[in-house]
Amino acid sequence: MSSIRRQLLFWLLAIVVAGVSLAGWLIYRQALAEANELFDYQLQEIAAALPSEPFNEILSSRDTGTEGIVLQIWNRNGVLMYYSHPRAPLAPRAELGFSTERTDRGDWRVYGAIVGDNVVQLAQPMTVRNRLAANVAWRTLWPLIVLLPFLGLAVWMVVGRGLKPLSRVARALDTRHPEALEPLPEERLPREVTPLVHALNALLERLAQALDTQKAFVADAAHELRTPLAAVQIQAQLVARARDDETRREALGDLQAGVTRATRLAEQLLALARSEPDGHARAQSVDLHALLDDCVLNYAPLAQQRGVDLGIEESADAHVHGDADALRVMFNNLLDNATKYTPAGGRVDVRLIVNDGHPLVRIEDSGPGIPVDERARVFDRFYRVGANANRARTDVSGTGLGLAIVRRIADQHDATIALGDSPAGGLQVELRF
Amino acid sequence: MRILLVEDDRMIAEGVRKALRGEGFAVDWVEDGEAALSAASGESYDLMLLDLGLPKRDGLDVLRTLRARSVALPVLILTARDAIADRVKGLDAGADDYLIKPFDLDELGARMRALIRRQSGRSESLIRHGSITLDPASHQVTQDGLPVALSAREFALLEALLARPGAVLSKTQLEEKMYGWGEEIGSNTVEVYIHALRKKLGADLIRNVRGLGYMIAKDA
Repeated sequence: MSSIRRQLLFWLLAIVVAGVSLAGWLIYRQALAEANELFDYQLQEIAAALPSEPFNEILSSRDTGTEGIVLQIWNRNGVLMYYSHPRAPLAPRAELGFSTERTDRGDWRVYGAIVGDNVVQLAQPMTVRNRLAANVAWRTLWPLIVLLPFLGLAVWMVVGRGLKPLSRVARALDTRHPEALEPLPEERLPREVTPLVHALNALLERLAQALDTQKAFVADAAHELRTPLAAVQIQAQLVARARDDETRREALGDLQAGVTRATRLAEQLLALARSEPDGHARAQSVDLHALLDDCVLNYAPLAQQRGVDLGIEESADAHVHGDADALRVMFNNLLDNATKYTPAGGRVDVRLIVNDGHPLVRIEDSGPGIPVDERARVFDRFYRVGANANRARTDVSGTGLGLAIVRRIADQHDATIALGDSPAGGLQVELRF
Repeated sequence: MRILLVEDDRMIAEGVRKALRGEGFAVDWVEDGEAALSAASGESYDLMLLDLGLPKRDGLDVLRTLRARSVALPVLILTARDAIADRVKGLDAGADDYLIKPFDLDELGARMRALIRRQSGRSESLIRHGSITLDPASHQVTQDGLPVALSAREFALLEALLARPGAVLSKTQLEEKMYGWGEEIGSNTVEVYIHALRKKLGADLIRNVRGLGYMIAKDA
């Protein structure tokens, strides 16, 4: 698991160390340049302070092996008159002015000058200067290096403090009741956390809405189940009360019808619940032509029984992407409505055409139709035509869920439903994919 | 006893009607709020069974309108709305009782009898008159402690007369108590049932007031 705190600490310390190193190097370079200047000046001064009279040869005897400044003096004829450290690894020649001589014991800074009758050469190992520069750099940097752990600790604490709002949000979410979906407070939050909390709140709101919808659905369902169950209970009690076989047979028939109705409602509720999540349908290519044929074929016997002439008027070749099972449920509901509400002797026509590349399914009946002012509401759950209008309800029993299911499935397939008047005087349902 | 049943679900209405008829009630059934209002205003009922979710006019609206017109008819609400707020609203709108679907037919019968009993000002569930005792719940009639077998119609007729001793009930009123709408009524059925009752319970129990109807005398 990645930790923001640990990452911040690591990178901040890495940057500090890199910075300190760079600074150290720069300081070292600076100090080296200054040391060079200073020591060069010193060499020059020493050379100038030497006597300018001709020398007699003095053979050096104080060669201790450790070289500070090595002094060589030649006379006018090039004879080495004096050599302070004969074991120094210097070439036996003189060069006027400053130069750097590379030897097998490191670099040496060399200054040659003519002083009176003599040629003087002063040499000094560069290691002296380097050591001095390194010392300067180290003295400047060591307090910083000592402070590094404290800096790390401070970073750790400051980052922790900075992340407090996040843990506050986490705690607020953690201690929440699962049903509590009210938004988290958005005030007093750092700007960086606000988008997160904002997004969370949006999610919570959507969740609350979905939950409310579900709750309303369950409440509706429970309420709507009461009526058919009440009928079943009454019918069952009537069976128990029947005194003769004739009455009992009749009561049992009623009970059967009551149970069928309750079962149908339960099935429709289940279909609606299955199509509930408002995601998109499983995508698979569905042969609309064949599916529609099949649905109509299945409904033909029932339509015949109801005395309704059900048939396909035209059927183009069309495919849609979607869930074949859901589409079948949708068409069955539409065909069920059409054949149910069309009085005996009427007709139901099914058309499948392709318009502008969009498959179009039209189901037209010669039933009573739906008044214009109710067309928007018939897709509501449990809404039944005529419930509030100034006209009698149809005799047909229904659950009030059929068109709600149709709407849901159509939405999932990005299809639009339009209700209109059919040429036969009844309702025309048009599905446009 | 004549009942007005207001219910838009056919299965429930048919079932309740059959059950109540079996208990000797005369049941008139209407399917929507408008019809309920006109029936309740036009005819005399002993009790109304009222559904709330009705086409054309909501049940609560029907109830309030009736109460505004000072119709004192006892009303029992039969509904799927089970929230306490709904029950309170129903009772406050003027209902006498509230029963939630699904309900038990026996409980419905008991509540109906209780309402009718209260309406007639009796506190006792049994109706007594001299040596005769009538139990509206069990449909039992006893005379001097011995059970008397009565048909559902005979029972309804006797119950109607015993409910208001001393009051004269016309033949039409009695028919109304015995039959719901659409039930076949013979021209002299009331006479036939009166005759049967006199035969079973004694000739001088039910008196004929010529040109007006029948009555049972107040307890001597």
